[in-house]
Amino acid sequence: MPEIKVTPLGAGQDVGRSCILVSIGGKNIMLDCGMHMGFNDDRRFPDFSYITQQGRLTEFLDCVIISHFHLDHCGALPYMSEMVGYDGPIYMTHPTKAICPILLEDFRKITVDKKGETNFFTSQMIKDCMKKVVPLNLHQTVQVDDELEIKAYYAGHVLGAAMVQIKVGSESVVYTGDYNMTPDRHLGAAWIDKCRPDILISESTYATTIRDSKRCRERDFLKKVHETVERGGKVLIPVFALGRAQELCILLETFWERMNMKAPIYFSTGLTEKANHYYKLFITWTNQKIRKTFVQRNMFEFKHIKAFDRSYADNPGPMVVFATPGMLHAGQSLQIFKKWAGNEKNMIIMPGYCVQGTIGHKILNGQKKLEMENRQTVIEIERCEPGCCHLSLEVKLQVEYMSFSAHADAKGIMQLIRMAEPRNMLLVHGEAKKMEFLKDKIEQEFTINCFMPANGETTTVITNPSVPVDISLNLLKREMALGGPLPDPKKPRTMHGTLIMKDNSLRLVSPEQALKELGLNEHQLRFTCRVQLQDPHSDPDTLSRIYTHLKSVLKGYTIQHLPDGTVMVESIVIKVSSSAEEPNTKVLLLSWSYQDEDLGSFLSTLLKKGLPSGLSSM
Amino acid sequence: MTFCLYPTAICVAGYSSDKNEILELLLPLKLFTDDNQGLCAERDFKVVHGGFSDGSIHCLKHIPGTRCVVTNDGFNSNLQVWDLGGEDCDVIKRTGVLQLKSASSDKGVKIAPGLTGDPCVLHGSQISDIQLTELTSGKPLYSLGKDIPDLLSSLQFVSGSVFLACACNGDLYVGDTRNPSGLQNNPAGGREGVHWCMGVKTDLSSSDPSSCSVARLSSACQVVVSDLRDLRAPLFQAQLHVQRKTTSDDFMKVTWAPALDNCLAVSGFDGMVRIYDTASWRPELMEFQPLFIHRGHMMSDDQFDTSSAVVTTHVWHPSRPRTVLSAAVDGSVHVWDWVDKATASC
Repeated sequence: MPEIKVTPLGAGQDVGRSCILVSIGGKNIMLDCGMHMGFNDDRRFPDFSYITQQGRLTEFLDCVIISHFHLDHCGALPYMSEMVGYDGPIYMTHPTKAICPILLEDFRKITVDKKGETNFFTSQMIKDCMKKVVPLNLHQTVQVDDELEIKAYYAGHVLGAAMVQIKVGSESVVYTGDYNMTPDRHLGAAWIDKCRPDILISESTYATTIRDSKRCRERDFLKKVHETVERGGKVLIPVFALGRAQELCILLETFWERMNMKAPIYFSTGLTEKANHYYKLFITWTNQKIRKTFVQRNMFEFKHIKAFDRSYADNPGPMVVFATPGMLHAGQSLQIFKKWAGNEKNMIIMPGYCVQGTIGHKILNGQKKLEMENRQTVIEIERCEPGCCHLSLEVKLQVEYMSFSAHADAKGIMQLIRMAEPRNMLLVHGEAKKMEFLKDKIEQEFTINCFMPANGETTTVITNPSVPVDISLNLLKREMALGGPLPDPKKPRTMHGTLIMKDNSLRLVSPEQALKELGLNEHQLRFTCRVQLQDPHSDPDTLSRIYTHLKSVLKGYTIQHLPDGTVMVESIVIKVSSSAEEPNTKVLLLSWSYQDEDLGSFLSTLLKKGLPSGLSSM
Repeated sequence: MTFCLYPTAICVAGYSSDKNEILELLLPLKLFTDDNQGLCAERDFKVVHGGFSDGSIHCLKHIPGTRCVVTNDGFNSNLQVWDLGGEDCDVIKRTGVLQLKSASSDKGVKIAPGLTGDPCVLHGSQISDIQLTELTSGKPLYSLGKDIPDLLSSLQFVSGSVFLACACNGDLYVGDTRNPSGLQNNPAGGREGVHWCMGVKTDLSSSDPSSCSVARLSSACQVVVSDLRDLRAPLFQAQLHVQRKTTSDDFMKVTWAPALDNCLAVSGFDGMVRIYDTASWRPELMEFQPLFIHRGHMMSDDQFDTSSAVVTTHVWHPSRPRTVLSAAVDGSVHVWDWVDKATASC
């Protein structure tokens, strides 16, 4: 049976570390290759030993596809391609290809330089990995080889994020990566056509959430910022370089304009130029509104937001600063945080998920006192031992968390299913036992199967592909001559023919033609059957009686009484004989060819019942 | 859309004519924190359990002390009993049906969960068929037995065994499940053709009848307030200035704020929820303005739409003052509060 196999890789059921293996039509594809940010050991990488215990992955994979630049979807890519080993093509959209290496390098620097990790990929590995990348355009079908083709669709979520359709013959799978069904200020909403894939694979992390309205969320955010600034405090918003930062910038810019606010807003140096550069370069990936207004005014050319300089952090008075990195684990955002943490008028707003172990995570959990290694700027020093110097930071500023992540929730998943009309649904990264309601809901509303494999578990979906076959003209004409209703895709019609599979072609021809082509002789099958009958008449009379009987029963058939002492019904021959000892026991011999099998068995059953008594022999 | 609220979660259900979902949603953490605390991780509702109902759900009530809710579809007198489920499975399953012994055909029933003792539920479609049924066995424990065919509009327990039944014509009956034949009638003295419903505020810790306030709301937008000491004489009343947008009386609801004194919420006439402060109300009928009006349900996709929005139900947050949850015909659920101008600083 034709089947598609899907296996999510990884060692656990946490958020993050996306890596899904799909086997379709004899091809193996890896979807995403993410890193889990919470672990420092091998658990942060997907478990590639599932593919092969040792050696390179090249011969086992036909291609690798990356959905977007978030590290939990591409973070393990250099490790996979350079340290485990893979030389085949890696597909991703243009923006992803441009931004991925920057984030990977950033992450590498922090992990290796700051944390002193050894078993990690190098800068050169990132470069080598990116050399294997083949960029994708939206809605463009790319032939990976002569059987496998892929196509990217817009996913929203972040710049360059794509949903991918993978097709081999008439079987297909769509993988969504992370997507968003509601447009926001700088990106559009995900969209896909009614491609009816055999399987739609979707993340289900937020599937059981019913999201608060964006309006309320934004209003709360703006209220907090406004309150803090009005009382003279400073607001720090740690962000990743690209992603939600742009969204929040547009939001604040609009608000500042509307409320005529005077306090300065700053964006980390280096970040503004980089981000702007990419958004300008990939303007087609932003939403309608931005593209429309781009000619008059570049949405990312902010009036109220300026580049930040380190020294500004000491300026008196209110201000808002966007600084990287997002989880406060190093860099500029951490420096600014150390300076502002001691003042309760100030505020820090964490706009996203913080991995355990980071300072961001600690303060979100309410920790009021932090122990940090003294690197540069010091607020209070507590010397406890000679040679050891660490600082104890008191967290007095207000800590807020506002999740602005753009993910599809329960409603979004249902919307996507309605758009794509898949034959089967597969959800990854959920908590299996808590997802039964959603599974039921999908199965009931769309009457399709819904699967939820755990990491390492393989789901096999049986597909029903249609196989296209060439039909010979003769056979087609013959079928048409049979009459009946016109061909209709909803009402399949059965027909007889011979399927010849030669090289890579499939042809449907008439049996005679097939025999001729193959140089075979046709075999004739003849059946013979003996029926015993009690009849007091003579043999010829019995035969006549049979003839009369059959003529009255089988109207519409050619029945002949031949002078050689046989009755023929179509091509079926009937003879009567008897033995001298028992002249009334007639033995009827029936003989028919395979083509008349139905009629033949009908006749034998009919004659077994005997002849009606009122028959006269004519 | 209808819902009922209990300490940590809210249960919502739809009432369209065929399949509906019942969802148990975890209240967002934001509702559990103080304004000042500042730490608020979550502001979304999380579906904890969900189930499917074949029919519509007109009335949904949680039975205290259990993981059960009972529902009624508004077309017959049966109560469906549902188990909300535990840790291991997230599906809400139907576990049984409770029947009304002397049911009257095709009307829906009103439901009042028992407040103390073993889980039981009081239900009925008219005064005569009110029955108290034990939840687990389905056994009727008490029935009114009085032949009063008045249709019921609201039903509620005020103590472990004393309950109030408000008829659609405004008459208020006081019954006691320990005393089947005893029933006290307190007419509202309302006009013909006016539909009434009631909202009760009780203090279970006090046996003082003055602590039980009853507000009756009429379809003519009048509110009459009395307490258990004398349900016949109104303590005070008010004429509300409301322009009805819907002719149906099905959604009329009046409730008392549990965490505030003298505070009423009224909804069901249109797309708004109105809050009133009854402290200034008087025994004579006068018009009073609301303390606050929530208009949020009339905002659909940036457009202010006064015609189609109707608030179907509302409920107060049990402990957060001035916090109300309301739902409307479009399936939206709003959680909102208002600023108390008197105590706000700035």
